[in-house]
Amino acid sequence: MDQSEIDALLAGGGKAPKKPKVAKAAPAPEAVAAPAPVPAPVAPAPQAAPHTDGSGHVIAELDTVTAVTERESNKVMDQLDMISQLVSRQQKLITDMMRHEGAQSPGVQQAIHEVMSAGKEIQDKVFEAMDLMQFQDITRQKLERIVHHLRQIHDYIVDLLGTGLKSDAERASISHTIAQTGTTPDENKAHADSVIEAFKSQKKG
Amino acid sequence: MKILIVDDSSTMRRIIINTLSRIGYTDVVEGENGKSGLEKLGQGGVEMIITDWNMPEMDGLEFVKAVRGQNPAIPILMVTTNAAKEDIVEALQAGVNNYVVKPFTPETLKEKIESLLG
Repeated sequence: MDQSEIDALLAGGGKAPKKPKVAKAAPAPEAVAAPAPVPAPVAPAPQAAPHTDGSGHVIAELDTVTAVTERESNKVMDQLDMISQLVSRQQKLITDMMRHEGAQSPGVQQAIHEVMSAGKEIQDKVFEAMDLMQFQDITRQKLERIVHHLRQIHDYIVDLLGTGLKSDAERASISHTIAQTGTTPDENKAHADSVIEAFKSQKKG
Repeated sequence: MKILIVDDSSTMRRIIINTLSRIGYTDVVEGENGKSGLEKLGQGGVEMIITDWNMPEMDGLEFVKAVRGQNPAIPILMVTTNAAKEDIVEALQAGVNNYVVKPFTPETLKEKIESLLG
C-alpha cells in the first residue's frame, strides 16, 4: 500500500488503516458491532455515500486491498511479459548466430543448443509464473465472501438494535462457499468433470 | 476464431489471453462483466465465449442466460472459482457447454476449448 492509498483510507474511514486487518480473524461480532451503532468518528460522506458506517470502513479497506493486489499483480504480469519477450528475442538472435560461418564447429553448435534449451526453460517458467497469478483473483473472491459475512453480521446487529444504517447496495455476486475454492491448479477438475459427465448422461437418458 | 473473454479481474483476463495465445488463439475481445460482454457480443464475429461467474452488474449466469436467449449455438465455457456441485449443475442448466474451476492449468483450458470446438 502506498502513501496515496493510506491517505485515501484515512480520509474515507477516519481511522488508522493498519488497525483492522480483519481478513484472517473469525468474523467476531464485536469487530463489526463496535463501530456500528454510533456514527463513525469521522465520516465525511464520500461522493456516492456508500460507506458511512463501521462495516463500510472495513469493506472499503478490503476493497482497497483487492484493488491494490490486482494492480500489483498486473505489474508482475508486465514484468513477466517483458521477460518473455526478451527471451524470445534472445532465441531469435541465437538462431541467427547458429547460421553464422564461425559457429559451425560441433562444439559451438552444441553450446548454442544448450543455451537455446535453457532459454526454453526460462520461457516455460515465465508462463508457469503467469498461470500462478490466478491466486490474486481467487484471494479477491475469498475476500468478497468475507465481506459478505461481515455485512450479514452488521445488518443483523442493526436489526437487533434498531439503529444504524444497513449495508449499501449490491456488489459482485459471490460463490456460495469458499470451502471448496482451491489454490492448487486443477484440484477441482476431476470433481467438476464428473458432475458435467453425470449431467450430460442424465440429459441423454 | 474470435473468442470473447468476460471476467471482472483484469489479471485473470490476461492469464486467459496468455494461455489462449500459447495454444494458437490470438483474436480475443474482452468484457469486464455480463453487461459489457453482451455489448461485445453484439458487435459480431465472436465464435466462442469464456466467462467468469462472479461479477458485478451482471453476473456470469445471467449473462449466459441472456446469450442463450439470442444464440443457442455459440459454445460457452464457464471459468470460475465456484466448485460446488449445485453451482456446476446450475451453470449447465443455464446453457454453459463446459466448466473449468479456477485455478486451472493451461492444459485444462486447452482440453476444454478443443472439446467445445471439436
